[in-house]
Amino acid sequence: METQKFGLYLFITGLLFFIIITALGGGLFGQTAPYYVQWQHKLFYGLCHQNPSRSFWINGQPMAVCSRCLGIYTGFALCWLLLPVLSIFTAEKKLIQKVALGIIFINIIDVVGNLFGFWQNTLVSRLVLGWLMGWSAGLFFMGDFFKITIKSIGNHHGRITADVKH
Amino acid sequence: MEESQQTSNTNPSYWESVGIAGLIFGILVFVLGLIITYITINSEPTGSMFSPMQFVGVLVCLIGAFGGMLATWHYAREYDVAFTLGTGALIGLFTGIAVTLINILLSQGWHLIDPKMTQHLINHTVANIKASDMGDQQKQQTIDMMAKSLKNRNSIGTQLLWGLPMYGVLNLLTGMIGAKIFSKKEEDNF
Repeated sequence: METQKFGLYLFITGLLFFIIITALGGGLFGQTAPYYVQWQHKLFYGLCHQNPSRSFWINGQPMAVCSRCLGIYTGFALCWLLLPVLSIFTAEKKLIQKVALGIIFINIIDVVGNLFGFWQNTLVSRLVLGWLMGWSAGLFFMGDFFKITIKSIGNHHGRITADVKH
Repeated sequence: MEESQQTSNTNPSYWESVGIAGLIFGILVFVLGLIITYITINSEPTGSMFSPMQFVGVLVCLIGAFGGMLATWHYAREYDVAFTLGTGALIGLFTGIAVTLINILLSQGWHLIDPKMTQHLINHTVANIKASDMGDQQKQQTIDMMAKSLKNRNSIGTQLLWGLPMYGVLNLLTGMIGAKIFSKKEEDNF
């Protein structure tokens, strides 16, 4: 496996770790102060509505972000961590753009439909839709940091083959 | 490698794109915050810690994080250049900082126009907590904490402390995504 810009990859991995830990809220650290004065909530203030009824709870405290935002962050982070593995696949940038736009559109429909009472979404449905959005954003970086090349020799030159010792 | 370094060194400055995107999203974040604040102030106290009027926020979740993407779009469109993921990250980071600074500047300016806004918000919060079914002692503790928190929210230091990290980091990420989508060609050193 070849790597490039590995420093940037590690830096972003660290940032994503910070985002996820913060997004999980004060319950993760056993904080007892009311959620609205916890530093995790203050960091995400303005970026998420932080409605406790739309958030998962840990240890009696709501997370610092709603379930959809949690899905976006965890989906992106998981895709990012799996980039070394995902690099065996190749995908057109345009295709990923279409998938990402489609998922954003589905999320907008879900928000609007729920707002006008056409249906009632749940914590889990919002988490899943957000997760798909984060995951699709992560796919843009396939092949940017890692590349796996399968080299075949002899009669198999140019073909993808199993790793056989000659 | 030398060629790609030369390309990035000769690229035009991205500060104009950072400034434009920072200004647009700074204003957007400020205006949305203001709308939510005034809707909250003018709503009837319900006793719930989360005002139903804040539901407006559901629609604007994460919107402040997309400044980085706008900046990279503008940069790529204006100069028709190829730039690296690292440059996209930097553009996003600086845009996030600009969004925070402009939001703070406008917030401070608004306090000159309506100096009583924070006090009205505190009054509404106190009325809201009084309408809740908490015990008296808990009510008083909550009122003290909320009032202190709302007052602190107006100081420039507090706004910088809580605004810069997340706006910076999230715009950095959208700046990288923007670099992938909008940069003229993808650099590939493999």
